[in-house]
Amino acid sequence: MTKRRTIAIGCFGAVLTCLAAGCASTGVEVWERDILARPEMQVDHRAHDQAIDDHIYFSKEASSGGRGGSGGGCGCN
Amino acid sequence: MKKTSIRQALAAIAATLVGSAVAHAAGPNKTETSILVYSERQRVRATEGSFSLSKQLQNNYSLNLRLTIDGLTGATPTGGSPSKYAQTVTRASGGKTITVPAGEFPVDEYFKDTRFAAEAGISKPIGGETTISATAIGSSEHDYKSLGLSLGASRDFNRHNTTLGMTVAYSRDVINPVGGFADSYTEVGEERPDDRDSRLARFQGKVKRVGDVVVSFTQVLDRKTFLRVNYALGRSSGYHTDPYKIISAVQPADSVDPGEPTRNFYERRPDERNRNAVYAELRRHLAGATTTLSYRYFWDDWEVVSHSVDAGLAFNVSRQITASPRVRWYHQTQAKFYRTFLIEGAAFPEYASADSRLAGFSAVTAGLSVGVPVNPTSKLTLTTEYYLQRGDTSPPADYGAELPFELFPKLDVIMIRLGYAHNF
Repeated sequence: MTKRRTIAIGCFGAVLTCLAAGCASTGVEVWERDILARPEMQVDHRAHDQAIDDHIYFSKEASSGGRGGSGGGCGCN
Repeated sequence: MKKTSIRQALAAIAATLVGSAVAHAAGPNKTETSILVYSERQRVRATEGSFSLSKQLQNNYSLNLRLTIDGLTGATPTGGSPSKYAQTVTRASGGKTITVPAGEFPVDEYFKDTRFAAEAGISKPIGGETTISATAIGSSEHDYKSLGLSLGASRDFNRHNTTLGMTVAYSRDVINPVGGFADSYTEVGEERPDDRDSRLARFQGKVKRVGDVVVSFTQVLDRKTFLRVNYALGRSSGYHTDPYKIISAVQPADSVDPGEPTRNFYERRPDERNRNAVYAELRRHLAGATTTLSYRYFWDDWEVVSHSVDAGLAFNVSRQITASPRVRWYHQTQAKFYRTFLIEGAAFPEYASADSRLAGFSAVTAGLSVGVPVNPTSKLTLTTEYYLQRGDTSPPADYGAELPFELFPKLDVIMIRLGYAHNF
C-alpha cells in the first residue's frame, strides 16, 4: 500500500511539475474566456447532482471520495 | 501568444460581457431543488428530497447551503448465505424472525430508515487570487449521527489559468443500532446478558472518527478545455463494523450437505481504514456540446482497489431543450476480509464480512437527462438512470464444492430524478 501511495504521489507531483513548468504558456488571456465563462464549463456546474450521485455510490460501493465533496456520514457503509 | 486582430479581441470581450450580463440579470445566486426516486429490484426503495442554495452575501462572502432528507424502506441482504432449504433466521437487531425461501439470499424486509443531512459553508475571496472556505456538515438517522467540519483554501496563478486548492475535513460519527450492540463473532439469536452493566454497554454509542485531505489542481488548457486532478487521502478510526450485517457458517465441502448454513454470526471489521484516491477530469466544449470525461483510481488498506470511469455529454437538442447522456463504468476488488461465508469447524479469521458491498464486482450506470427552461431564469431537468452491479456468483475457489445457488446478490436499480434550478 505504501509503495502504491508513493507511486501515486510521485505521478501526481510529476503532473503538477510538468503542468506548472508549462503553465506560463498554457492557458488563455482574459478576452479569450467566452466559452470558459459558460455555466456548463464551471468546475462546480453539477455540484448538486454530484453530491446525490456520490452519496448513492458511497452507499452501494466500497470506494468513496476523490472529487472533494462531502455530505455527512451515513450508516450505510 | 496567438496573434489576434483587434476586432476579434473586442468581439470576444463583448461576448464575455454580454454573457456575464445575462447571468447577472438573473443574478449570481442559485437554488436547486430535486426529488429522487430510487428503486432496487425486489430490494430497497428510497425517496430523497434535496435543496441547495448558493448566495452572495455582503463584503464578498458567499453562502452555500444544502439540505437533504431521505426515506428508505424495503429488503436489504443480511450477509447470510442461501440454503437448499427454506430458512427461518433471527434479525441481527433481535426480535422478529425472517422466513427465507430455498435458494434465496436472506434479506431483512423490515429495513426502514429516515436520514436528514445539512451542509452550510461560507467562502470569501482574499485579494484577487485566493479564496478560503469553511463548511459544517451533519447528518442524523435514528441509529447514526455525524458531525464534521471542512476548511479549504485555493489560489489562482498564471492569469487565473491555474488553480491549486486544498481541503481538510474532520468528522465524528456515532452509531447506536436498534437492539443495541452484539459482540462481533457472537452467534445471532444467542441470549445476551441481561444485567444492568451489560445492557448499558450494549446501548452505549460507538464512535468513528474520519479525517480527509484533498489537494486539487485545475488548469485551463485552451479556450474550450480544462483539466482537473485531485489527490485525496482519508483515514478513519473507530467502529467500522456494520452491526446489522451477519455472516453464515456453512457445512464444509466434504460434508454430507456442503454449503448448508448452520449458524449465523455478527460480522467483524478492522478498527481502522486508510484510503487514497486520484481523480482526473477533462472537460471540453466542442461544436456546441460539452463533454466531460473523468477517471478515479482508489485504493485502501482493506485491499479494495477500484476504477471509476465517467463520461458525459451535454448538448442542445433544440434552441430550448438540452440533453445529457451519461455512462459510468466501475470495478472494485474485494476487501481482504470479505468472505462469502465462514466454514463450520474451521478457525475464524481475524476479520470477516459477507457484506456484498465489500465483494469484488463491476457496475455500470447509464442515464439520460433532459432539461427544459421554464422561464429565462429557471430550468426543469428530468434524469433517468439505470445502475447494475454484477459480482462473482460462485463459491470461494478454495471451497471445493459446487453449490446449487448463486453467492453474489445481483443489484438492479432504476433512479428517476426531477430537478428545478433557479438563478436569481
